[in-house]
Amino acid sequence: MTDSERTDNLAPGRVDWVAIAVFVALVMMGWLNLYAAVYDDEHASIFDIGQRYGMQMIWMGVSAFVAVSILLIDAKYYHVLAYPLYWIAVLVLVGVLFLGKEVHGARSWIVMGPVAIQPTEFVKFTTALALARYMSSYTFDIRRMHDLLRIGLLLGIPVLIVMLQNDTGSALVYGSFLFMLYREGFNGWVYIALLMIVSLFVFSFLLDPTMLLIVLIAVCVAGEGIVNGDWRAKIVYLAGLALGSILLYAAFNLSGVELSWHSAILIATVLSVGAVVLYAYRRKIRNIAIFILLFFGSLGFTYTIDYAFEHLLQTHQQKRILDLLGIESDLKGWGYNVNQSKIAIGSGGFSGKGFLEGTQTKFNFVPEQSTDFIFCTVGEEWGFLGSALVVVLFAVLILRLVRMGERQREPFGRIYCYCVASIFLFHVAVNIGMTIGIMPVIGIPLPFFSYGGSSMIAFTVLLFVAIRLDAAKREFSSL
Amino acid sequence: MDRVKILRATVVAVTIVIVLRLFYIQVIDERYKAHADNNVLRYMVQYPPRGEVYDRNGAFLVQSKEAYDLMAVPREIKPFDTVAMSRILGIPVERIRKELLKANLFSRRRPSAIAKLLPKEVKLRFEEHGFPGFYTVYRTVRSYPTKMAGNLLGYVGEVNEKIVERNPYYRSGDYIGMSGIEQAYEEVLRGVKGVKIDMVDVHGIPKGSYMGGIYDTMPSPGVAITCTIDGRLQALAEELMQNKVGSVVAIEPATGEILVMVSSPGYDPDELVGRERGNNYMKLLGDPRRPLFNRAVMSSYPPGSTFKVLQGLIGMQEGTLVPSQTHPCYGGPKAYPFGRGMACHSHSSPRDLYGAIATSCNPYFCYEFRNILENKKYEDIGEAFDVWADYVRSFGYGRKLGSDFTGELNGNVPSAEFYDKRYKGRWNGLTVLSLAIGQGELGCTPLQMANMVATIANRGYYYIPHVVKRIHDRDSIDSRFYERHYPKVDARYFDPIVEGMYQAVNGGGTGWVAAVPGLEICGKTGTAQNPHGSDHSTFFCFAPRNNPRIAVSVYVENGRFGATIAAPIASLVTEYYLTDTITRPEMVERVKNMQIAYPYYDRQRKDR
Repeated sequence: MTDSERTDNLAPGRVDWVAIAVFVALVMMGWLNLYAAVYDDEHASIFDIGQRYGMQMIWMGVSAFVAVSILLIDAKYYHVLAYPLYWIAVLVLVGVLFLGKEVHGARSWIVMGPVAIQPTEFVKFTTALALARYMSSYTFDIRRMHDLLRIGLLLGIPVLIVMLQNDTGSALVYGSFLFMLYREGFNGWVYIALLMIVSLFVFSFLLDPTMLLIVLIAVCVAGEGIVNGDWRAKIVYLAGLALGSILLYAAFNLSGVELSWHSAILIATVLSVGAVVLYAYRRKIRNIAIFILLFFGSLGFTYTIDYAFEHLLQTHQQKRILDLLGIESDLKGWGYNVNQSKIAIGSGGFSGKGFLEGTQTKFNFVPEQSTDFIFCTVGEEWGFLGSALVVVLFAVLILRLVRMGERQREPFGRIYCYCVASIFLFHVAVNIGMTIGIMPVIGIPLPFFSYGGSSMIAFTVLLFVAIRLDAAKREFSSL
Repeated sequence: MDRVKILRATVVAVTIVIVLRLFYIQVIDERYKAHADNNVLRYMVQYPPRGEVYDRNGAFLVQSKEAYDLMAVPREIKPFDTVAMSRILGIPVERIRKELLKANLFSRRRPSAIAKLLPKEVKLRFEEHGFPGFYTVYRTVRSYPTKMAGNLLGYVGEVNEKIVERNPYYRSGDYIGMSGIEQAYEEVLRGVKGVKIDMVDVHGIPKGSYMGGIYDTMPSPGVAITCTIDGRLQALAEELMQNKVGSVVAIEPATGEILVMVSSPGYDPDELVGRERGNNYMKLLGDPRRPLFNRAVMSSYPPGSTFKVLQGLIGMQEGTLVPSQTHPCYGGPKAYPFGRGMACHSHSSPRDLYGAIATSCNPYFCYEFRNILENKKYEDIGEAFDVWADYVRSFGYGRKLGSDFTGELNGNVPSAEFYDKRYKGRWNGLTVLSLAIGQGELGCTPLQMANMVATIANRGYYYIPHVVKRIHDRDSIDSRFYERHYPKVDARYFDPIVEGMYQAVNGGGTGWVAAVPGLEICGKTGTAQNPHGSDHSTFFCFAPRNNPRIAVSVYVENGRFGATIAAPIASLVTEYYLTDTITRPEMVERVKNMQIAYPYYDRQRKDR
């Protein structure tokens, strides 16, 4: 080993230049796009630092400096500094909670002279480092409850503080680590359960109770069929259930007692459980119990959703969800942002209206267009071609991060890379998803596009530490 | 590892979902583009000035004045001092509030008119004050300096829903010619609206022209019209017709140009302009003498004895009459045909055609009519009658003449079928004999009667009467006005009629009162019985006898004898046109002051 290899110095051949190229492309597009979003004839110079695009240029300079520094610093330090950085960040967050400035209802800013910093953006980085450090220890086992609790604690502390700052959007970002956890072997059933809860939630709004009940029965029976086979028995069962429901319905209503279809099907299903148990006992099929529990669990869940929705979510959150599901809308009130955003993007057409020609963004029809709704300008001025290009570039970057993670020899680097991929995926999917109306409105920035020094620098740091770790790995493998 | 594949697939799946959704809203769903345009583009209609109308001597009949409509875009209005605005506009506060409320209900984003046709001074004062959300647009308002000929010139009004549905050019709030020349030449006079497309930001503040103005269109101004009317002659005719119900139509025979078209009572077209329009319109509509009814083309009158000249023409063409033929007339109630209520006044007997026309002998034309109907050439009276009716129609009676004036009425010339039905097939020449002297089922408009006399003046042809002489951006008017129309009577049969008409005025006939030395006026009186009271007085004439320059038809309801009132009016109009002087001021005064009672109309007033 030479000296240079031991001290883990950087050599150009080991750096993932593709990722850096994508990064540079996204940053430059972001800058031009921001210029277009804020543009007005009086301040036409893109270098005018009195304007947001001028400021963004300064942040880009800072980011470039930070990026180069990270590439030059020894990668070993991140492992060493993971915990201290984590705790410093937590302390700063707590400090912001008491001393910070409130913007848009969230107390998450530190103002120092002309510069305002949003520490929340950097906490993602320190949390990723801490997670990577903890999960890469030799004694860590993701199947152990004790270790899972520790992970929960590492995530929970910043989430709690950010929630206290009333910045729900940033708190939700930590949910994205489920992506990384899956790679590290987290129990797959958790994901299935989560998927079911989300779909139950959505369907409980979209379907009426009777329809939902029928869908649930069909899903449980089909699930059991996929596991155990014997489809003829399933068909006999469903036919019997239908016949039983009709008989019940007819019997009650003819005898003068009113009974809805919903109740008739429900009673028939409950009564059928006896027969199902008998069938399972005879055939010695134990796992039917799972599906019976799944059915009743889901049923119970749908009945509690209404309560949870009403009492656990704030009014604006409820409305954003109702709007997303197309149940309620108020285009002049709380639905305005998303509607105007869709109009701006939709009006871009296939090839866009051209640079600086976007009327919707130029004339301020879209609120928050330089921050959370910056993608509108992309959609309007660059059309489907431009916006699809941006989305694909982000996808390439995320897949590149997954690739970097996979070729790490050390778990630390892999876990960290996956953390970064998780964060990028969440930000991109949620931010763009909300501007085109397939995600609820959650106020988080689009990396490299939204205006703001903190997020620009934080995403740069996140990305370049991953690139640096990747480069370090390849130094050893090249031996 | 399986899990890595799943994660990679997740990233790809999320990307695909987003890209598909982008494709849907950007490429497939067109709705958003329209929304975007609604957001940003504001279409400002640019109204062209309406074309002006001159009389044949180049004097203004209709002028355009600039005026301004006050528009408001509700969502851009900031709280303002309603009282100050009310003072500036001269409109009550409540009315402003009501209009704003209405505008708000119509659209928060699109402009509505709050006040219309404000004078320029008001507009300037209003703009000085600067109310956000309000702006003014240029319109033209009509003014009628001669204050006459309401029914001829017509008026301009706001389009209603029906018009908007029928003709997509018009939008609610546009103006359109509603009657008269304004209606007939609407498309020439109105010009073409332009549009200016402005971009506005989220606050409705204009941000300049859309696409540098390439989709803007300039309004093209309305084209002026010179009409055939002689303004001074029209004014004289209207003056003479004051307090009378009826019509005067004068035509230049050599061209078919309408020199005068009076419908009396008329109205001052200026009354139907501006803010008082609605009230004045209702007042005119409620007037039992129906001043808005253009009698010149819409009233169907019995032509009375003026019809006899046509009877004579048909008889000669059919060969049942030669001018020298005489028929006896015993005058009074003993006149032929006995017992049919057909009387005649006293004149020497027997008369030939010239004398019969000059003295307007009823029995003469009754004989004549029977000769036509009982002509052995024809199988039965039905066939003969229809031949006769065809002659009548060939002179323009019983059908629209096809002038450029809208609202022409057909009038009525009955057919044999009509009488077959009415009398169940049992009728003969005596049954319909009153047609011989222009009574019975005949109905003619004053324009048709004027056209008739113009045809005689031309000795056998006419040009379709029209009111427009020149459209200022075109070399010619519609080609149909340059075409001679020949009725079914040969030119040579007209001279005896002209001679008769000459004698009627200058040879001691019934129209002697119309005579003016040296002018050679040829005319025919008419006294038409009608169910609404006293006889209608009518007279038509042309002058001079050779190369006539003017043909006039006057019809005064309940004016009694043709010579009483219609003949003097026609004579004065003819004289003024030909000599530019009035040599009989006492006659003018007498005619102007003549009082005629109209119980038929005025009774309705009391009934109301």
